[in-house]
Amino acid sequence: MTVPMTTGMSLALPRAGSLTDALMAPPSDTVSAEELRVLREQLAGDLAALVEELPPGEKLRLDEFRFGQAREHPDRLSAVEGPFVASPARCRRAVGLGAVARCLGRRSPSPGAAVAEVLAAGVEDAADGGDPGARPPWWAGWYGGLPAGGRAMVEAEAVTWATQLWTALEWERLVQPVVGGGDDWWDCPGTRALTLRGRADVRVRAVGRPVLLVVGSGVPPSDWRSALGFPALVPALGRGEKSVPARVVGLWPASGQVRILPVDNGALVDAAAAVIRAVSTWVDARLEMRVAGVA
Amino acid sequence: MPVPPTTATTTTTGSTTGTRTGFRPPEGADLLRRLRGPGTSRPAVDPGLAGGLRDWLEDGLAEVAAEVAPGGVPVRVTKEALTGVLTCEAHLVARRVAPRVISEELARGSLVDALFRQWVTTGRLEDPWSDALGAVGVGGDTDGIAAFVETLPAERRQALAEEIAEHASGIVARWPVPSPMWLPRTQERVVVPLVGGRVVMSGVVDLAFGGPAGERASVCVVELKSGRRRIEHRGDLHFYALLETLRSGAPPFRIATYYTRTGELDVEAVSEDVLLSALQRVLAGAVRLCRLAAGNEPARSPNGLCAWCTDLPQCEPGQRRAGTNVPRVAGDADGDDDFALVATGLTGEGVEADEQGSEG
Repeated sequence: MTVPMTTGMSLALPRAGSLTDALMAPPSDTVSAEELRVLREQLAGDLAALVEELPPGEKLRLDEFRFGQAREHPDRLSAVEGPFVASPARCRRAVGLGAVARCLGRRSPSPGAAVAEVLAAGVEDAADGGDPGARPPWWAGWYGGLPAGGRAMVEAEAVTWATQLWTALEWERLVQPVVGGGDDWWDCPGTRALTLRGRADVRVRAVGRPVLLVVGSGVPPSDWRSALGFPALVPALGRGEKSVPARVVGLWPASGQVRILPVDNGALVDAAAAVIRAVSTWVDARLEMRVAGVA
Repeated sequence: MPVPPTTATTTTTGSTTGTRTGFRPPEGADLLRRLRGPGTSRPAVDPGLAGGLRDWLEDGLAEVAAEVAPGGVPVRVTKEALTGVLTCEAHLVARRVAPRVISEELARGSLVDALFRQWVTTGRLEDPWSDALGAVGVGGDTDGIAAFVETLPAERRQALAEEIAEHASGIVARWPVPSPMWLPRTQERVVVPLVGGRVVMSGVVDLAFGGPAGERASVCVVELKSGRRRIEHRGDLHFYALLETLRSGAPPFRIATYYTRTGELDVEAVSEDVLLSALQRVLAGAVRLCRLAAGNEPARSPNGLCAWCTDLPQCEPGQRRAGTNVPRVAGDADGDDDFALVATGLTGEGVEADEQGSEG
């Protein structure tokens, strides 16, 4: 089996088989501890210098969303943010991941049934009727307060999302699959003003190395290498060379597109450069807003 | 729930038939049988077909797409844009610059879409009016449907509520809730970028079920309509069949339009001919859309919609066709029907959901 190229794949049918092959292919690249140390030090220095310009006490948390905004819509970083408004589209991933995890654990027979169970459990936890040790998911209180029609839209949106992920892979062939899993964090040394947060939708192991699958909406961005490099960079910085994924596979179900980024030192260096550009853009936007009196 | 008697047209597996009195809409197991067909006869997938179709589109669009400014907004090819540009380019341009108006028909479409989605997903529809309003209002009423309904005079709001209840009654009476094992998904967005993303075909499928295809086609696509049956709907459906083929690498085995008002169901098997005719239509429309995006003057094609076109005061060919330079407003005469609604883009098909949010 050969490692697929980094360009878009023309997936043979059934596509779940091809995508699983791509995910489980043996790693071809490694990143040494020394390479990672050099990268971490260089990046920390560059980022700390950038965020020094921020007013005291201001903190930035660069996650996938902000990283994308800085690359694709930098003007939006200067916009005054309203309060967060939950919506079916905004909670479909959170609910959908829980549902796929239930299917994987054979606790639900299908994404449709699993989503209903995840939502019911969330409402129960939010109402203090569930596990006393469990913290209710962020969407549960909002969802529980919706009218029946609104709740149905949340459920429908999550079912569609979960079904797309559940049918995208041959799960029984995956090694140690984890659906969602904890986010990856890296606090930039030398400053308290910047944290990177990475995430993946599915984590597996290929010949002992981690491999990540991330699900995107719409079509892959033109700089998809940066988009896929970011979730590889954050665990590499935060937890060292054993956490460097062998590759990151991007899946965009709406367009049926797949991109694969084998992770070597060059890929991490490119991702780090993209992070520097994003943070620079964001800091500039914050400073402009402060000058304009809106921050 | 009672099934309203209708006088309507329907099809069984592809061919449009004439009007029949005493038509009884399919329901329950019969409806599902028509959608699913016998499992043993699912067509084999030609693994090279989707790639060939894509190459054909890419080749046909490469030259004209190069005229569109690079890095700009992609040329969007939707079912509405296709129908519009192939009818009259000037009319399409006029519609695009006109302020967006929500009509009762549009609101009805969105509300019925939401109810159908709720029924298919949860199997519950207890209070159609409040369920539908709750559905379109969740997440901030981004399409403005709930706000529009709120502004309707009480009588018209009541009439709309009664109409919605009839549609809901029909859905509940005729549609079995699909088994979760069929993997039903609703409002599934399909996006197909072409020529490096300069042209983007897109649509939102009301209902799809069946797992991804392997050697045999396995997906059925259903488009919901709350308005009257129209010939353009077939083109819309073929467009969706092409989208799904390009997206997933395999054609759906069935495509269907379901009319919630009457219970009519048009079902069609997806052959290579269907896909090729859809491709030719997409190509013809997308070339025109690219030329418009490149700044070409829109062609004027007088047609039966000219009387309702907002561009009529500036359009001599349209005035000759319509016999006036004063555009009519949909619904201002007894003779107005869906024909006028097509002209203004206010057909009862609801508002297609768009990608939104950052968490998805």
